[in-house]
Amino acid sequence: MAMRQTPLTCSGHTRPVVDLAFSGITPYGYFLISACKDGKPMLRQGDTGDWIGTFLGHKGAVWGATLNTDATKAATAAADFTAKVWDAVSGDEVLSLAHKHIVKTVSFTQDSNCLLTGGNDKLLRIYDLSNPEAAPQEIAGHTSAIKKALWCNNDKQILSAAEDKTIRLWNRSSMEEVKTLTFDTSVSSMEYVADGETLVITYGKTIAFYNALSLDLIKTVEAPAPINSASLHPEKDFFVAGGDDFKLYKFDYSTKEELESYKGHFGPVHCVRFSPDGELYASGSEDGTLRLWQTAVGKTYGLWKCVLPEDLGAENSEQLYTSTPEIKA
Amino acid sequence: MAALEAAANRRELSVLTERLNMAKPVSVLRLPKGPDPNSRGFDPRSPRFVALCRTSISSSAASEADPEQLQREQQARSVLRENFLRCLVSMTNKKVQFHMHEKVKVEATFGASDIDVLNFQVSDLQTPIGVQKEALIRCQDVISVTFDV
Repeated sequence: MAMRQTPLTCSGHTRPVVDLAFSGITPYGYFLISACKDGKPMLRQGDTGDWIGTFLGHKGAVWGATLNTDATKAATAAADFTAKVWDAVSGDEVLSLAHKHIVKTVSFTQDSNCLLTGGNDKLLRIYDLSNPEAAPQEIAGHTSAIKKALWCNNDKQILSAAEDKTIRLWNRSSMEEVKTLTFDTSVSSMEYVADGETLVITYGKTIAFYNALSLDLIKTVEAPAPINSASLHPEKDFFVAGGDDFKLYKFDYSTKEELESYKGHFGPVHCVRFSPDGELYASGSEDGTLRLWQTAVGKTYGLWKCVLPEDLGAENSEQLYTSTPEIKA
Repeated sequence: MAALEAAANRRELSVLTERLNMAKPVSVLRLPKGPDPNSRGFDPRSPRFVALCRTSISSSAASEADPEQLQREQQARSVLRENFLRCLVSMTNKKVQFHMHEKVKVEATFGASDIDVLNFQVSDLQTPIGVQKEALIRCQDVISVTFDV
């Protein structure tokens, strides 16, 4: 008997959630950070959505947020012209890196020693976090605001997407452009999957998959509505996408078939990401909430509980909710 | 071909089931916990915090090497911390002057500090555009505070 998906709503933000990122799997589980226009990025436990803390300090909308692999550091990019590095255990601000314009994107190298930033001043910057006083390395080339920048190919290369409708691949050592992809319209999101070197790009109603090293196109899939973000499952059997029609879509990666669609958000979906173990995916929306969705609907995981017919009549000390009441943000 | 048909049938059944609301929704143990309105979180009692958090300022390199030096440094830190806390206590209900960034100098009656020293609660804040009866001053904007003991 098919079960109906019960998304878990994480409230707390008071404005649209524009970016989110998961950490890797740590001895304490995995974590989720959300960037919000209210200027207060939040850290949550990844498998339950429980709030852990709020990073206080930014004086403007936070456009980008990321965690390092072991979730000990966080970085955020904001409209107050700074990128900040935080201790993700204590919540303290560790570094504030001044920029000349709105910062949109931040990304740690795997060893957490360097931070890549990009924003409206059209420059990519690489900061050495062990020597933050030193001037960052700057890479110029984009002719419009940078929306997303990330490390790839074992941190030897950088991928950046900008409003100039291009995605560019750069060599870190030479700081030179290796390859450029040009589109008819601005790319809305970019996700890099290290295992298999796959790049997931969204633009218009299209979700496109590229080889991250060669930038060769693997395949494209069309969605029913304009898509703002997509994420590929770690095992590459599904991918999920969300956009302007407020719904989340789940597709089969090999057959490109649309498998499911879920309603739930009250506004456009801005970001969606699979958890590192692939058991759930998180979406952030204009409605100010994050929602957690099960990959395998009905499986016992996190706060979701598989209730077998035998259990229904039995005395149970656990409170079971059969439908999630809506909480207004 | 058969596999595709089977998949299409499964999908159709699933869509119909959902549409007719026949499917039972997945049960949930509880809802995700929301933010605490009184704190920024990062519970210092959590196992992760206890295991991973270093003290906010590491001891100096010299102290790492010499236990006697470390002892002296720790004592100095305790004295400084105590002085700071006593300052905050003695400022209570006194008129103080805040020197802030952008050459801002404002006077107010000091109320209290929050536990993380992120905000100062003040009354009768004298600003160029009038007197603010009650206000919160963001500590990271403050360079120094002056008051008569």
